[in-house]
Amino acid sequence: MWPAIALLAVAAAGAPATRLVWSGPDVTLLGGPSRDGRYLSYVDPSRSLAVREIASGRSRVLAPAPAASGEFAYFSALSPDARRVAYAWFNEEGFYDLRVVDLDGGNQRVLYRNEEAGFVQPCAWSPDSKFILTLLFRTDNISQITLVPAAGGPPQVLRSLNWVYPKRMDLSPDGRFVVYDSFADESSGDRTIFLLSVDGARERRLVSLPGNHLFPLWTPDGKRIVYASDRSGTMDAYELAIENGEPRGQPRLLRRDLGRFLPLGITAAGDLYYGLRSGSVDVFTTTLAEPTRAARRVTLRFPGRNTAPAWSPDGAAIAYLSRRGSENFGQESRAIVIRRIDSEDERELLPKLAHLERLRWSPDGKTLLVSGSDNKGRGGLYLVDALTAAVQPLVAEAGAPFRGFDGAWSREGRTVFYIHSDSELRSREVEGGRESALYRDARLHHLAVSPDGKRLALGVGEKTVAVVPVAGGEPRLLAFDGLTELEWGRELLAGKGAELWRLPLDGQPAAKLAAPGNRETGFSLHPDGERIALTAGNARSEIWVLPLP
Amino acid sequence: MGIAPAMIIGFLLLAAAGKLVIPAGLDAYLPVPEQNPITPEKVELGKKLFFDVRLSRDNTISCATCHDPKLGFTDGRPVGVGVAGRAGDRRVPRIVNRGYGKSFFWDGRAATLEEQVVQPIQNPKEMDLTLAEVASRTGLPIEQVQQALAGYVRTILSGDAPYDRYLGGDRDALTAEQRLGLRLFRGKAGCTSCHLGPNFTDERFHNTGIAGPRDEGRYAVTKSDRDRGAFKTPSLREAARTPPYMHDGSLKTIAAVIDFYDQGGKPHPALDPEIRELRLSAEEKAALAAFLRALNGTVRDGM
Repeated sequence: MWPAIALLAVAAAGAPATRLVWSGPDVTLLGGPSRDGRYLSYVDPSRSLAVREIASGRSRVLAPAPAASGEFAYFSALSPDARRVAYAWFNEEGFYDLRVVDLDGGNQRVLYRNEEAGFVQPCAWSPDSKFILTLLFRTDNISQITLVPAAGGPPQVLRSLNWVYPKRMDLSPDGRFVVYDSFADESSGDRTIFLLSVDGARERRLVSLPGNHLFPLWTPDGKRIVYASDRSGTMDAYELAIENGEPRGQPRLLRRDLGRFLPLGITAAGDLYYGLRSGSVDVFTTTLAEPTRAARRVTLRFPGRNTAPAWSPDGAAIAYLSRRGSENFGQESRAIVIRRIDSEDERELLPKLAHLERLRWSPDGKTLLVSGSDNKGRGGLYLVDALTAAVQPLVAEAGAPFRGFDGAWSREGRTVFYIHSDSELRSREVEGGRESALYRDARLHHLAVSPDGKRLALGVGEKTVAVVPVAGGEPRLLAFDGLTELEWGRELLAGKGAELWRLPLDGQPAAKLAAPGNRETGFSLHPDGERIALTAGNARSEIWVLPLP
Repeated sequence: MGIAPAMIIGFLLLAAAGKLVIPAGLDAYLPVPEQNPITPEKVELGKKLFFDVRLSRDNTISCATCHDPKLGFTDGRPVGVGVAGRAGDRRVPRIVNRGYGKSFFWDGRAATLEEQVVQPIQNPKEMDLTLAEVASRTGLPIEQVQQALAGYVRTILSGDAPYDRYLGGDRDALTAEQRLGLRLFRGKAGCTSCHLGPNFTDERFHNTGIAGPRDEGRYAVTKSDRDRGAFKTPSLREAARTPPYMHDGSLKTIAAVIDFYDQGGKPHPALDPEIRELRLSAEEKAALAAFLRALNGTVRDGM
């Protein structure tokens, strides 16, 4: 366990000083502080729901994630008296339900469970602890602002939003108003802050200034909201006075340039807890033989924000994803960048997609197969023209994960293989769309095609990689624990966290390869079998406090 | 009557006396213009006007003639029929849940319900009356007529359908066939590309290919080529019991509608890219139809 850290950041004259309260590998930004400032709910490295006693740094698990089950905890919110925690739980059926547990870990129960509302996010409790302000994200790609009875029962839907979800919402201390962020209008990519009365009587747009305004929270006295805004070019903290559900005056700057911060909650004492993502991540080229020695950063123009490399089939270029925008919580804004290795040519593509997760070049080098989701929130696989960025959906489904499906091209480029619903390996003809199922099992993940195009490798559960003949036949099962990536060049390589492993197909034990200790998810093999593009960096999460004036 | 978005308020969902009851499945927040708050008296007046044949030239047609409560607030005909038997141009829209609407008529030419409610009165193919004549016949200022009619229409709500109870946590509210239909609706059939949310509409305009050469749909409003032949996505609430379908009433049954989309609509230069061949099996089509029946709920009006 990391010791509690108390560092003071240098503050500009007149600005309140911020202090770091928690840093280290265990930090996640999925919970928030209790009103009394004693506890912080979070998800620990085992993906269990936990609370941390802020003063002592001691943590305890409230809802353990069963090993090798695939179940885990996600967003959480502490009740006003800090005796209960509402939390999202990814259940055994493959969607999130809303649960509550006492602070001693007892009395766990499910409050709302419905696969049609596949994602839930508890955000705040009502002052009397009878309701939990919860965001439901439905499989038809609408989000709903709801009040879920803490004693159980149907959610009361206050407001539905098409194809967009608030990144943060909060309930006023008197329980009368919800503040949330959403797109300023249907044609805007910028968010702004809205106020909705809980009785359904009215809705107000609170901030009409240019820029991106998001993550609103109420102050404990209910007289102000605090939120993040990039209107000045950096992510700043602002406050806006509210009286009887109406804005009073103009937003006031609280603190300039807090970095990529995520407000988590405000204690009764007026401490704003916020998460911070800092550090950088880049794509590098190197060799499999000496991966740490010969590493060269790929980007010339966009340092510090790059992932998901993919070598082109001719080995002359690398496509990668590059983060855009000033915040990156929830679905990120990402561009595709194509860098030619033998020159300084680095092109940016901005396909009309809401989220891009992964890239794979077509064998002819003209098209990128993109895992992600479109602007209507449909997850799937998209074909992106490598010259024009024009997008054509290959498989797009409402209710599919926003990260899309894991897919790979056949050798001749006429077929794409992909994993559907974590349970079926399918092939789909690019022209015509005819589909067939190649393999079924529970919890399929990560897919790679052999260079000759005759076999597919994919993860099955936590401890197995299956090698499936494309033409049909029995799969060969390889033992491998903790698979996080698969690529198939001259050899079948697996990622396991920062580690890289060689997976022999003859049943010999997997062999660990040298890899940078700060390697992040995402690597690609050069056609020569010797070079590799990989992602590495020092991205980290921290929890800070800004005392409000 | 232009209403600025910032001036929109909602309406109380409480079931207390004098308050509008929002059925299960619909948002508590019902947008209402600040200048036209809903009151029981206004709704009562609006309902009387809605059924008042004096609002037509020959005293034979009221709003309810075409928007018949017994027929889900529509008329069961391919196109509306107005005074003196004059045929209209389009299918009479269902008007349940229009309080949640963002624009009105198949082509969205009215921005508010207040603006919408007086257009059929003035249309020669419908009620064929001038606004001055309306004021004279009712003895009410036209603004009051507008506000009362719009206020009443906002209270025409459909919810509490089996689908709503299913979403609320009653796993048995849908049959197995309807649950399959729901999966198809948001999956293979891609219906949620346009029909989504509590009201099953994106409130946008799409060309399904069904538009004939004489009706340019949304293009008549925007003059934008991409809107040629595009019509507003209708809500699917109460759809299964209110045939016929499409803006021209050309499809007589839900099964025909499903077949139409299964075939990828009809070819059209401005066909919406969301419309494509679906390759549904007979079982899947039946399941989709069964699911659509689960959107028939409780229709209520007034306060």
